Amino acid sequence: MVWTKWSYMDHWVTETPQGPQPPSFNRAYMDRYVKQLSALGFTGFDTFFFYLPLYAGMYGGVPGFERFLQDNGFDKITGIFSAYPSATKYTAPHVRETHDRIVADCTNTLRMCEALTGVENFIVMPTSTYYQTEPVTDDTIKVVADLWNRVGKLTLEHGMKTTCHFEFWGAIRTRAQLETFFEYTDPEYVHFFCDTAQHTIAGVDPVQLFRDYRDRCTGFHFKDTKNVDEHEAYRTPPDPELMAPQVTRWFYEMGEGGLVDFPGLMKEIVASGYDGWLTVEHDKAELGGGSYAEATAVAKWYIDNVLAGAQAAAEAELGVAR
Amino acid sequence: MRDTLRWAYALNQWNVRLDVFVRHEDQQRALKTVSACGFDTIELASGTGRWDNISRPEVILLNHGSHAGFLDFLRRASVQGVSSMFWDPQAPAEEEEGYAFRSTANPADADAIVEWSKPFVDFVAGVGAEQLVVRPVGSAWMTPPLDGDGIKRIGDVWNRIGELTSASGVGLALHYDCLGAVHTAEELTALLDATDPASVGLALDTAEFTVGGIDPVTYYREHADRVTHIHLKDTRYADTGDEYRMPGAESTMLKGGAGRRIERWFYELGTEGGLVDVRAFVAALREHEYSGWVVVESDHGGNPAELAMLNSWYLQHELGIPKS
Repeated sequence: MVWTKWSYMDHWVTETPQGPQPPSFNRAYMDRYVKQLSALGFTGFDTFFFYLPLYAGMYGGVPGFERFLQDNGFDKITGIFSAYPSATKYTAPHVRETHDRIVADCTNTLRMCEALTGVENFIVMPTSTYYQTEPVTDDTIKVVADLWNRVGKLTLEHGMKTTCHFEFWGAIRTRAQLETFFEYTDPEYVHFFCDTAQHTIAGVDPVQLFRDYRDRCTGFHFKDTKNVDEHEAYRTPPDPELMAPQVTRWFYEMGEGGLVDFPGLMKEIVASGYDGWLTVEHDKAELGGGSYAEATAVAKWYIDNVLAGAQAAAEAELGVAR
Repeated sequence: MRDTLRWAYALNQWNVRLDVFVRHEDQQRALKTVSACGFDTIELASGTGRWDNISRPEVILLNHGSHAGFLDFLRRASVQGVSSMFWDPQAPAEEEEGYAFRSTANPADADAIVEWSKPFVDFVAGVGAEQLVVRPVGSAWMTPPLDGDGIKRIGDVWNRIGELTSASGVGLALHYDCLGAVHTAEELTALLDATDPASVGLALDTAEFTVGGIDPVTYYREHADRVTHIHLKDTRYADTGDEYRMPGAESTMLKGGAGRRIERWFYELGTEGGLVDVRAFVAALREHEYSGWVVVESDHGGNPAELAMLNSWYLQHELGIPKS
């Protein structure tokens, strides 16, 4: 049976009378955006914590925003992404003294999600940038782990799993650092969110990583890359995603000749018995003249025409049926 | 689209300039977009020269080796075939014809236009498409007023080309547009009357009709037996001041706002303030058991992928047609 739980991560830019903007430009643009995602068959919606106040204002509350999604064919808001990419004196996951503030922020985000159908993932960037955090020692990772253990316990009380989305430029990026982090975190409270491109850029095989941590995996960002970071771009201050001199665009949609083995990952997902949401993310798809709309359609084509086949083949091979 | 009507999507909005939409990978992305939106058949538009390698028959064949090679190219993106191809013999930018200005309204041009049609007829037949969709006459502002004889002369040209298409097993559909010298419902009916129903049909474009002041639902109901092809799109405006007669109407009206600051005439299905009663029109097609292609089009619009997805949404959620 075709995988129906595909969600979309809320990155999008569209042309408006005031230049290229996110569709939160106004409700008319939101209508068009959501209808496009729905037309392709996405039924889950992941968004950022910082969009929640904006959507609440536009739709009379976050539940009102979710009803708007549901009126257009979506099941629900599936994930909320929270992050502190830049370490500040107020918030820095590797600085224990800022943890109370981060927990308070998370509490506020959870409050905004009350009365929703059922957000499943509270997705977090576990650290800030590598260059602000280094040297990354076992102790550094332990401090970070302690924070997300706290947050994980908190979000679970609200029905959401705290799940960690690692960046190639984050302080926890190598296979050894990831293993240490998972060792220091409680499997009951802290889960794994597999961003296929970020791990690949960092030189970590996302398929093997999922294979090894599938019991803790609660979600994916399906996106591709054409480059492994071979020039320590991850240390580029203040931001390697847009300022690395060697690579001007890191992320691509599936099916465009990138490095990630998506059919292989799909096979592993089927084999693991995972039955959660699979999320498509396009990050900075407009670079080089690209269009989020087309990137999304092309990615969904890949899902319908390539991944569906990989899923069916894996199910046949394993003798399982969803 | 899983429906009793046959749905296709036109690629014209991707090919908005001479020097874009040339790389095969760009074309594959467009085809995948159309496919992901639920359409497995496309309409092609004519073009000219080496950069129109998905529009000009000779150049398509040069790029893909054969009709079968082109179909293989489409099928890589899960697009199964071609419903139709649009051709305007009046378009002055046909490099292959020496940039000659010809008009079906000019009897002296008839032989040349019939000759020009042959690559299109052959290509449409070669790829298994059903209709050659043509602009029957040039713009009104460039054409002397047409009397009954003038319309009959235009019909004669299309009857000759209709013989060619019939001999090749394909249809010929005259596509009314809002700038054409055949403008009113009476003139259009006169043109249909001047053509052979056995070989020449009408391509009814819902937005072009509406802009031109002809109600597409009414006209379809009255002439359903002649309608062999549909372009489905919406508009927010009608030509209320004979704007089609403006000199350079292609620019001054359709792009220049017609003096009313209209930035864009054609819109996706379901657009706010749309003038086309799409539901009623599609219902009329079903009532008459229309068997031709319904081509959803988004020309002169915006981002083609956005428009394709919005059109797909309308079909799925407003017309209740499952995508697959």
